[in-house]
Amino acid sequence: MKHLFFISILLTHFISRAQDANELVKAVRIKLEKVTDYSANVHIKAQVPMIKIDEVDAQVFYKQPNQMKVESKGIAILPKQGLGELNNFLTNEKAYTCALNGYKMLGDVKTAVVSVLPLTENSDVILVKLWIDPVKDLILQSQITSKSNGTLDVDYFYGDQAKYGLPYKMIFTIDVKKFKLPKSVAADLHMTSIKEVSKAVV
Amino acid sequence: MLWKNTYNEFIKILAKPRSYIGLAALTLLICIILFAMKADGRMYISFVTASFEQTLSFNGNILNGNLIAFIVLQMLIVHIPLLVALVTGDLLSGEAAMGTLRMLLTKPISRSQVVLSKLIAAAVYTFILVIWMGFLALMVGRWVFGSGDLIVLNSDGLVILNDADVLWRYGLAFLVAYLALLTIATLSVAFSAFADNSIGPIVSTMAVIILFTIIGSLDVSVFDSVKPWLFTTHMASWRSFFNDPVPWSAIWESIWILLAHNILFVAIALIQFQRKDITS
Repeated sequence: MKHLFFISILLTHFISRAQDANELVKAVRIKLEKVTDYSANVHIKAQVPMIKIDEVDAQVFYKQPNQMKVESKGIAILPKQGLGELNNFLTNEKAYTCALNGYKMLGDVKTAVVSVLPLTENSDVILVKLWIDPVKDLILQSQITSKSNGTLDVDYFYGDQAKYGLPYKMIFTIDVKKFKLPKSVAADLHMTSIKEVSKAVV
Repeated sequence: MLWKNTYNEFIKILAKPRSYIGLAALTLLICIILFAMKADGRMYISFVTASFEQTLSFNGNILNGNLIAFIVLQMLIVHIPLLVALVTGDLLSGEAAMGTLRMLLTKPISRSQVVLSKLIAAAVYTFILVIWMGFLALMVGRWVFGSGDLIVLNSDGLVILNDADVLWRYGLAFLVAYLALLTIATLSVAFSAFADNSIGPIVSTMAVIILFTIIGSLDVSVFDSVKPWLFTTHMASWRSFFNDPVPWSAIWESIWILLAHNILFVAIALIQFQRKDITS
């Protein structure tokens, strides 16, 4: 009987934490859904191993539900995943379930750490971890692990548009795989370049 | 008298149908490359960026005129020596073969001046080839594909150069490519001074280029001390202008080595032609 009581308390505890997490993510989602479309001038600074590129100005266009376009006069490098994918993923609340993993201080802000697990088997996303400011309903940090692109960490910095959940600055940290350059088109034909690199920051 | 003879030599080059083979071949090849890139250039780009595109996306006009010019230069710089040698390898030996060399030397002009006037005419012809290639590759390329940032793949990875930062690099790259081709021209004229037939110097020049290129590409330590001194090693130094930062010391080293080869080949041509017993 004691055991049953203990399990019952434990289950109630987990269910309430899951509800908390779902409520947190729902609040963030509702905030993001207020934005039907936007365009933004963006300044992109990429620090990618084996790529030398200057800072670039571009324009980002978004339209609900999931149309996102980047226009740039020059060549702009962005992570393949992460600009709009998280918002798209969170939009369909039946496609995932949430669990609260505790709280963590990010700077001065106490954030709720929420794990979001997809419910569909064929989902490319394996796991999403969100660090949510429960007071302002803002994602301050996210970590998306997917089958195709590995792990992507994103840091969000908010300004005037915080009420819409739109950051003014985002830092993407990507796991980059082993880059192997085709020797036939490389400058120095006497060198084969296989470089193991770990992280890229955009 | 030197300049008058140089003018005459250049007229002789222009009068030969083979002189236009190079220009026509260049035009045709560049048009084919432009057409291929217009039809399926994205495929070519993805070959270069495939390794990166698993995690990153490249936005903007990648397939632009600057990239096309780079591709054209890279593809053709290997073949242009043949087009140069086809004309310049014939300059002295062609006269010997036709029997006009003796008549040429009856003019009040020294043997050295005859050789120098032919070398200057060869240099002008080579310059025209390079300018024509630059015009077709860069100007027509930019006209057809538009302008944009240049994405270059080298042994250290990808370098993406701003559109505004590209033209001066092309200007200097074409100058160094010209110096490399001038080395071919002087080599073939030097061979030409030894021969009495047209085909010998042309084939010999190509044989030397092939031999040196193979030695340069062999990963065998026994050739390591020789490789830096082969002119073929420095023929691709024009590409260094598209590195960031530009490796100026390596470029200057290439320029000095190419200049030294040019001086050596000119000297060989002058000495050999001075000593040559002209019987035809």
